[in-house]
Amino acid sequence: MKVLKEAIAGTLESSDLLVKVAPSEKETLDIVIKSEVIKQFGKQIRRVVTETLGKLSVSAGSIVIEDKGALDCVIQARVQAAVLRGCGSEDIDWRRLS
Amino acid sequence: MKLRRSMLFVPGDNAAMLSTSFVFKPDSIMFDLEDAVSPREKDSARLMVFQALRHPAYCEIEKVVRVNELNTEFGAKDLEAAVRGGADIVRLPKTESAEEIRALDGRVATIEQECGRPSGDTKIMAAVESASGVVNAVSIATASPRMVAIALAGFDYLVDMHAKRSDGWEPELFYARAAVLHAARAAHIDAFDVAYGNVTDDEGFLREVGIAKQLGFNGKSLIHPKQIELLHKAYAPTDAEVNHARRVIAAAEEARRKGLGVISLDGKMIDPPVIEEAHMTLELAQAA
Amino acid sequence: MSATRDFYIIQPKDSPPEMAEVRKLLTTNDLELDDEIEQFVVCRREGRIVACAGLDHYTIKCVAVSEDRRGESLSLQLGSEVVKLAAERGQYHLFLYSAPRNLPFFRGWGFYPLIEVPRLVVMMENSPVAIKIYCDRLRKQRRQGRQIGAIVLNANPFTLGHRYLVEQAAAACDWLHVFVVKEDASLFSYDARFALVAAGVEHIGHLTLHAGSDYIISRATFPGYFLKEKTIIDHSWAAIDLLLFRQYIAPALGITHRYVGTEPFDPVTNHYNADMKHLLQQTPSAAPPITVLEVPRASINGTPISATEVRRLLTRRDFTRIKQLVPDATFQFLENECPRVPQTAE
Repeated sequence: MKVLKEAIAGTLESSDLLVKVAPSEKETLDIVIKSEVIKQFGKQIRRVVTETLGKLSVSAGSIVIEDKGALDCVIQARVQAAVLRGCGSEDIDWRRLS
Repeated sequence: MKLRRSMLFVPGDNAAMLSTSFVFKPDSIMFDLEDAVSPREKDSARLMVFQALRHPAYCEIEKVVRVNELNTEFGAKDLEAAVRGGADIVRLPKTESAEEIRALDGRVATIEQECGRPSGDTKIMAAVESASGVVNAVSIATASPRMVAIALAGFDYLVDMHAKRSDGWEPELFYARAAVLHAARAAHIDAFDVAYGNVTDDEGFLREVGIAKQLGFNGKSLIHPKQIELLHKAYAPTDAEVNHARRVIAAAEEARRKGLGVISLDGKMIDPPVIEEAHMTLELAQAA
Repeated sequence: MSATRDFYIIQPKDSPPEMAEVRKLLTTNDLELDDEIEQFVVCRREGRIVACAGLDHYTIKCVAVSEDRRGESLSLQLGSEVVKLAAERGQYHLFLYSAPRNLPFFRGWGFYPLIEVPRLVVMMENSPVAIKIYCDRLRKQRRQGRQIGAIVLNANPFTLGHRYLVEQAAAACDWLHVFVVKEDASLFSYDARFALVAAGVEHIGHLTLHAGSDYIISRATFPGYFLKEKTIIDHSWAAIDLLLFRQYIAPALGITHRYVGTEPFDPVTNHYNADMKHLLQQTPSAAPPITVLEVPRASINGTPISATEVRRLLTRRDFTRIKQLVPDATFQFLENECPRVPQTAE
């Protein structure tokens, strides 16, 4: 999957995150994470994000995340939502979301 | 016997609530994809609920998903998320006929097959929110073996009825409550009373809980966590009721031991429903 | 039964009674209503509007939360609703201006400071990396040389006066970077203007023509809406745009000189040029100073050539005079465009 257009998902509220995806000019996957708890959980957030993108086979795109202390399951859901919006795809392969 | 006193509504798009609602320990949690979520966020909420359903923190709690009506662009996808995510119950809003329940049953069965979930594993409950729904309550309640509960949704129903909403809604809801209860009992499923919208009015809430309990409702839809404990306490049997229940069960035991066909207590005959009720009383007492 | 139901959007022109409420809320927060705002996100609770945020294209303005509601949750919901509204309109790159003391509030909205005019205003954007990515892209187009020039043109349309300015600057520089203002706020569209500039500078070899951006003379780089003092508005208006140029754009390209034409007609541009000299050359900054050179405008028969004059002549269909003021490509374009431009009966 490639990110074809800009899209966002999530909110700025506590326990949530705002995910912004955009097409990448360089055909690479660039992930930027900002979080109040970047020191304690930065690595974990990145792991969850990378895994989620991997399962969706996202090979290129710019992903910027503004985290407000979200649990892994919320990170997964918001990243999935943003990617699906950015790919303009209506069809969901539920096995890729587990 | 699954206790269904408290069904806590959790908006499917609210990360904070999805992340914490399990700590309040309601009997059931209802993740809402319908009225609580704006149309442009339905896709995101659906994924949030899908992930929450699979989260270990929720594995011990009965999980209900209120999907959008099946004739909307959202309903079918919501069902996929609910069944594949492992929801215990799918709640159909604005149910008006048995046909709708049968259609839902069919769709759920298909998805169960596709995703390898045991057939029949996903249950259904119907929310009745209109005059038609109330009038068809019996056929709705008996429309599918998956049906485990029927709920009355007060606000939409009263709008449909052109009723004026008074403080306690008692006369306006009388028939609807009675109809839903009868349907539930005839179908041997659970009945849920309306949600109480004023979260700052504990007295009003408890008054309504009292009515629901008196009428025989299994439980109530709740929109705020603090209503859970209030409700559980109100549903707890009194000491006298507990003692009586213990005596009923003891009498039944004794009759069984003695090989007697008839059970009696204090000179009165005890029928099986009374024994069942006694068990329920003890369960409620334990859970309070 | 959802909190987000309290939020809705109002169009300022269509809702006078609600705008009266919004105005009141803004006043109690020491803010003035900006007339450029196209849509407001408001939150109504218990019958009152308790929070609002306005959107003017891709700049967030007039953010206010009622004092009795200042907890985290409401303001973060407000921020989320504004970001979602902008996204629905296709605006993902957002800016805002804030009093420096409110910087932490907007950090919570995912905004990061770009430029601060000390004690006055801080300009922010909703990305931790956007300016860096933009500058990285610019850096790839760096050229060596002792004198690297820059010109920013609106070119509405490209005239012989513009060409003269570019030629004069190019003659003095080892390399010249020309930027075209991106906003479609002029008579002629960005695409049209850019094409005419490209045609007009084709003959100059040591020149790079850059696409416009949100960071160079854009709707976003014009602050001042919330400052009541008119004089301060004029100064901070220029400051943000020029400081962005000095602190980010010029260093990325190694620009040493900026060229502008003298401005005899438009007071706003004239003021901007004056501020440019001050901010690019004199204001102390970690970024190196940039020499500002004003090139006297090219004239015809003693009258300075201006795009404004060309547009005026176009409304009168005076193609004879227009031909004297613009290069061929522009002339052909104007002839084709002419039916679209209203004619005045003067």
